[in-house]
Amino acid sequence: MSDGALNAASAAPMVRLRARMFQSGTARRRIVLGIRALTIAAIAVFALTTPGFTSPLSINALLNAISFIGCVAVGMTFITLTGNIMSLCLGATLSASALVFLASLSAGILPAFLLTLLFGIVVTAAQGVLIGYFRANPILVSIAGLSLLIGGAELVTGGVRIYPGGEGLQVFKGRIAGIPVETLYFFATVVVGQFILSWTRIGRAMTMVGSNARAATAAGISTAAAVTFAYVLAGACAAISGILLAARYGSGDMELGTGYDYTAIAAVLVGGTAIQGGSGSVVRTLIGVTVIAIIEVVLLLRGFSQQLQYLITGIIVLSVIMLHTIGERR
Amino acid sequence: MNAHFVKFPLSPTIRPFTIMACAIIVLGIMDRGHGYFFSVGTIFSVMQLFATIGLVALGLGLSMLVREFDLSVAGMVGLAGCIAVMTGVENPWLGVLLGVGAGVVSGVVQGLIMTRLGLSSVGVTLGGLLTLQGITYVLTENKTISYPNMAVALGLNEPIANLLSVRSVAALAVFVLAAVVMTTTHIGRDVIATGSDRRASRIAGLNTDRVIIGVFAASGASAALAGVLLSYSLGAASPVALADVLAPAAAAAIVGGVSVVGGRRGPMGIAAGVLTLCVLRSGLSAIGVSPHVHEIVTGSILVFIAILDAPDLARRVTTWRLDRAERQAMAKKSS
Repeated sequence: MSDGALNAASAAPMVRLRARMFQSGTARRRIVLGIRALTIAAIAVFALTTPGFTSPLSINALLNAISFIGCVAVGMTFITLTGNIMSLCLGATLSASALVFLASLSAGILPAFLLTLLFGIVVTAAQGVLIGYFRANPILVSIAGLSLLIGGAELVTGGVRIYPGGEGLQVFKGRIAGIPVETLYFFATVVVGQFILSWTRIGRAMTMVGSNARAATAAGISTAAAVTFAYVLAGACAAISGILLAARYGSGDMELGTGYDYTAIAAVLVGGTAIQGGSGSVVRTLIGVTVIAIIEVVLLLRGFSQQLQYLITGIIVLSVIMLHTIGERR
Repeated sequence: MNAHFVKFPLSPTIRPFTIMACAIIVLGIMDRGHGYFFSVGTIFSVMQLFATIGLVALGLGLSMLVREFDLSVAGMVGLAGCIAVMTGVENPWLGVLLGVGAGVVSGVVQGLIMTRLGLSSVGVTLGGLLTLQGITYVLTENKTISYPNMAVALGLNEPIANLLSVRSVAALAVFVLAAVVMTTTHIGRDVIATGSDRRASRIAGLNTDRVIIGVFAASGASAALAGVLLSYSLGAASPVALADVLAPAAAAAIVGGVSVVGGRRGPMGIAAGVLTLCVLRSGLSAIGVSPHVHEIVTGSILVFIAILDAPDLARRVTTWRLDRAERQAMAKKSS
């Protein structure tokens, strides 16, 4: 895997040189595309030549890792896409959703599911309204949301772990035809997310708002509604991830989603969604999540220590982000 | 005139002090004369807390002054703490030097990547954060490292005049230094100019790339010093324990009036913002309120500031008022 990292790192200045030589944008785009394809190919080769990678056990671990973080990353994609950089609150929303889900299980599995979804949506939609309608600063609002969620959850639960109040968790774990159920839910999220993004009016509006808010306004699009809707989707995704995690561990506390914000935005950026918004997709995020997860599994299988895994993953994420942003630069 | 009186205490320059005054008054009333809040002990604990998150907030706030966002401060705190604890057993100053040096190097490298390749700071510093955390894990081999030189740990937290400690004095000194540099030298002007309008500054002949690199170096160094002081005084460093400083630091900088759109306020505003949050946290725990109330109060203040700073707020309110007036006029006409 270290070769892939080397590739990406040494390629950066070269791209820049080439970009200057080729004045035409298409030529440069082709080169960047080539390097991207090469990187993915290198990762694939490394993964497949790693002994034990194709074993059911490691594939299983891979799919599991992808599912939990993937849902949050898909949610983050909408926020990044509308030009609001990132939210520091999605991890906390995930944790709080898990608590709501476990506590409301006594009312039955479907009501609990719907209630949790609604909870996640309300939490982020409130932030979306502030950001969309008042143009409040997204990072500031997300930190405020984080504080309120943590404080509110402590106030309600008293800081103790929450255990399921009812039966029916099996719906969200186990496997169908050998595939973990979590993965199926994640793929469903990806499909629905990408559908909304490419085929609905509000989805197209989100991309346009991120690309150029003033032009979008001039074209008659309500930027506020588009931004709010992006946050609604993000909250729903975080809630789904919270439900899956709650079902998997059978209990939950506010620590459940710690660190998910950073991993999620890393996956979004590695997938190639532009940090300034306006360009990206849910499928790209799926690729980003998969790439990071494959790198982690390969490092694990090749016997790297936990600490070296962290370091190498960090360096690879940094180089891939650099590579992408160079490609998108005007 | 009336509007002016409402707006004045909330203008970004005065706001951190207004919020702090409100916090002190409210806490004083809640204390009901027990003297738990207005005590020397509270001031000491406020200053200890200030030393911990203040320098991180300063680093992050400086990067926000030039319209960037240095996520890597969170990783730098942990890494510098580990470096200091590992190298500073014999000579604590060596640990300080190496820790802060690592902060400068990381800031310069990230600044160079950003300016040379024209990348956004969030992406680069996110990668930087993950890389720094990785380095910390590798250095510590994923274990908590204890610092055997207890004399240093005790000395750093030794009260000075019952109010301060060596640690909080060091943090205050860095703030004063930063404020002096920002107000009296051309560096401060350059930073504000770069944050206000980067293109105009470049056209006016300012080497904005150098300013950005310098700001990130200062940000790294400041966060590193925070990590070094914290690890020394705790007598231990671990790769995981220090990760959660980013949100309070960003909150403190923003309460301090550092606009996230850049070019406003400086180190003294950040110091006021940090102090406000520290007064709230220490004060609430001094009068026996449980810690989650602190989170809720902080969150509410941040929501308040976010709405107050929102550029479209005034427009929305005006449109809404006009609409209502129009509707009322219509209703009158029809009746």
